[in-house]
Amino acid sequence: MNTIRHLSLATLLVTLATPGWSQQADVRGTLEARGLPAQLVADVTAVAAEATAQGLPTDPLVDKAIEGWAKQVPAPRILVVVRQFRLHLFDARQAVVGDGGGEPLGMVVSAAAEAMGRGITAEQVGTVVRAAHRPESSAPGLRVAAALTAQGLSSDQAVAVVIEAMQRGQTDAQLLDLPSVARAMHARGLGPAQIGQQMMGGGAQGIGRGLGARPPDVPPGLGPPPGKGKQNPSKRP
Amino acid sequence: MNDDRRFTAEAHTYLDGAQTGPVSEADRSDADRLRSAVEAYSARIAAPGRSLTDAVMERVERRGKSKQPVWRWVFEPQPIRLRPIWAPMMAALLLVLWLAVGNRGPEGTPPLVMAGADTVFVQFRLVAPEASAVSLVGSFSDWQSDQYTMGREDGGVWSLTLPLAIGEHQYQFVVDGQRWVPDPTAHAQVDDGFGGTNSVIVVGPRGVVRS
Repeated sequence: MNTIRHLSLATLLVTLATPGWSQQADVRGTLEARGLPAQLVADVTAVAAEATAQGLPTDPLVDKAIEGWAKQVPAPRILVVVRQFRLHLFDARQAVVGDGGGEPLGMVVSAAAEAMGRGITAEQVGTVVRAAHRPESSAPGLRVAAALTAQGLSSDQAVAVVIEAMQRGQTDAQLLDLPSVARAMHARGLGPAQIGQQMMGGGAQGIGRGLGARPPDVPPGLGPPPGKGKQNPSKRP
Repeated sequence: MNDDRRFTAEAHTYLDGAQTGPVSEADRSDADRLRSAVEAYSARIAAPGRSLTDAVMERVERRGKSKQPVWRWVFEPQPIRLRPIWAPMMAALLLVLWLAVGNRGPEGTPPLVMAGADTVFVQFRLVAPEASAVSLVGSFSDWQSDQYTMGREDGGVWSLTLPLAIGEHQYQFVVDGQRWVPDPTAHAQVDDGFGGTNSVIVVGPRGVVRS
């Protein structure tokens, strides 16, 4: 009798310690904390469980559900979007893994899904992932490629800019400066194709090795706290 | 007894209490006086039946039992032992409390916060002269509409500066608590899947440039 009791207790402890179970509990807790209705919480948690079983990250799904609820989107519509996003994540995972490879990082899969939603192809995702020096570096690379594409560069050019910056030894954080650099060039009247060419050139107008050559009209971001010191000089309509 | 006087062997024997022979009157007198002085001193330093430890502990206990009003302890100077490291730590704690609680600006300006090493101050602006309230909502606030209220400036410009983590962020403005509008100056506009448009900014270590 004692043996059965001990076995039951051990089984319960193992179940509680299982990552999938705790992840579902996290998902449920997060959604409940944001006030989503019980049925929607249950449905999204079920989708998240499927995602976990497929090796997909659950955070983007939870974030999407929370975003929809905050925007007062009807629950059935939220569930549809969350399910669609899981499919995007699945495709993105396939693109990241490619012909073979280890288990991809959730942040990379998430970034790949966003990038593919903005016009980056699965092949281009694979190219960026392979060019990254470290697995986690491909996440900012993919996000920057997606942002540059959204800024008007062709996806080929955007990916080429990112890969060249990686090969120049740019850090992950420095990669994230590229959309601002592109925006500054656009403000000076350059077209997307010219921006891509100049950024790939890495010359005076583009991003150089190491510190990067920020154009003179690109202000530093580390500004003072609100209401203190000089303001960001960027002009807004 | 003079210092230069020396006791005879008989006097020593007398002081030892083993008188065997004759002792001069002068030696006997000095010896008796010395003996009585030694006995008095011994009695003073060692009370019969109580050790020094017992006496000290007795006084400590007596002091502990003495009833002093609390207010007297409060107003009397008390020794305080403090590690020097506590001084900067307490200063930092007070600064954080002041920033979190006490530094609210006018018209719902959010509390002043400090940017960390991997965060950058980003200014958001929206021209909406007809609006009576504008808030900033995004992935950085879990899409909660009441977290970042923007302040109104001249010319119907609504503005807010806040620290954002380096990386990509999606957001929208909420005008008058109802109308969700994208930022036309963002790096990109993306479909949010719900029929709306999210603005995207990519925050680099040196900030954000928008048109």
